[in-house]
Amino acid sequence: MNKFELGIVDTRTIIKILQDVYDYDFKNYALTFFKRRVENFIRINNLKNAEFFIQGIEQDPETFESFLKFMAVDITEMFRDPSVWRLLKEELLVNIIPGATNFKIWFPEVSSGEELYSMAILLNKLKLAQNVQFYASSISKLNIEKIKAGFFDPRKVEVNNANYKRIFSEGELSDFYTQEIEKAFWDTSLIENTKFIKQNIIFDDYPKGIKLIIFRNQMIFYNQILQERFLKIMHNCLVPGGHLIIGNNEKIDYWNSDKDYITVSKSESVYKKKLS
Amino acid sequence: MYKAVVIGGSAGSFQVISKILMSLPKNFPIPVLLCLHRLKHVRSGFVEALSIKSGIPIIEPYDKDNIKPGIGYLAPSNYHMYIELNKRIALSTEEPVNHSRPSIDLTFETAAQAYRDKLIGIILSGANRDGAYGLKKVKQLGGVAMVQDPNECQVKTMTEASLKLTAVDHIFTTQQIIKFLSNLK
Repeated sequence: MNKFELGIVDTRTIIKILQDVYDYDFKNYALTFFKRRVENFIRINNLKNAEFFIQGIEQDPETFESFLKFMAVDITEMFRDPSVWRLLKEELLVNIIPGATNFKIWFPEVSSGEELYSMAILLNKLKLAQNVQFYASSISKLNIEKIKAGFFDPRKVEVNNANYKRIFSEGELSDFYTQEIEKAFWDTSLIENTKFIKQNIIFDDYPKGIKLIIFRNQMIFYNQILQERFLKIMHNCLVPGGHLIIGNNEKIDYWNSDKDYITVSKSESVYKKKLS
Repeated sequence: MYKAVVIGGSAGSFQVISKILMSLPKNFPIPVLLCLHRLKHVRSGFVEALSIKSGIPIIEPYDKDNIKPGIGYLAPSNYHMYIELNKRIALSTEEPVNHSRPSIDLTFETAAQAYRDKLIGIILSGANRDGAYGLKKVKQLGGVAMVQDPNECQVKTMTEASLKLTAVDHIFTTQQIIKFLSNLK
């Protein structure tokens, strides 16, 4: 049960090649996470060591794409942390969306799409979907394709349904998906108002005039330098009075964050950009 | 001389960990990293319950918090807790390991890489094998590997799995663990 371990020199070499050859700058990812992720990718794909890993991605663009997908860690369930979704349903969305036209919601890393579909289902239940435009960015082209097709892992059905019941007393999550023997897929009309943006790690292209950003449990994979860069970009994208939601154990932690945001809910990590 | 202690436990470990924390002096010289299996939908209550009698403050850290001496860091529910080489906490929502998130193996393995021979790893009572591999890494990288005496454990699976994988330094009762920690300077 000895696992393959990547040395620090090999880790740095891999980061350098991904930067020089592919223009993906992983050097400000959290080091432990990056190293462990590459180790697991090497193990799962039988690539044996760092050299074969580099060969693998250089010779086969699909290997590189599947590596990017692996780095955009899957969200393990729909409606993760039901309490934040209850807050959205009962207090936040019903106050900020009605009356708004073209209410823009951005997912800066949409990864496997559960937060996007959860939000779409919530808006559908609240009958607010028609006012909303989604923007979904990802480093992974494969994830974007998968989300557009609506595929999800049928083994997640049970946990997804249980979370749904913690939020909604009416209806069933199965109103929104179709399940076959080894396949399950969402009703993709839920996300027809979504603009997908393929990005590398440093944003060249991001939407403006955003009223709500959902970016939960993605910054944990970055170090403080990259976290701060994302926080600044997100602050620029938000309209004054716009909301930012991050993960339960993430924090907005840079030198002027107190001047930039009001805390709406500490326990659910909901913040509001100040008006001036 | 030691820079951190990392403790893993599951079923049957709550009272043991409570006793250990209660015994620690306010000026305990090193941080205590706690990875205990817990219910994922119950976010609050656990850290409070552990804090009541603890001699040191127990917190559920935020991502990238600095690790400080004399503080207990409890892995938050539904996150893995890694220790970065620069002695910060890093949280992760990666898939469960050994059906567990937080996984004791991951906290132990990353703590071992960060603290090497300056780490004490302790596995307590528990009902699965999570932690066995992590304790092995602690030992491999020069740290002290310790398990609670299985005869004293409410559930032995976790300590026995650890003993099978690693020639540990100590098999201790709760009282002996407390005595060992009280001698740390």
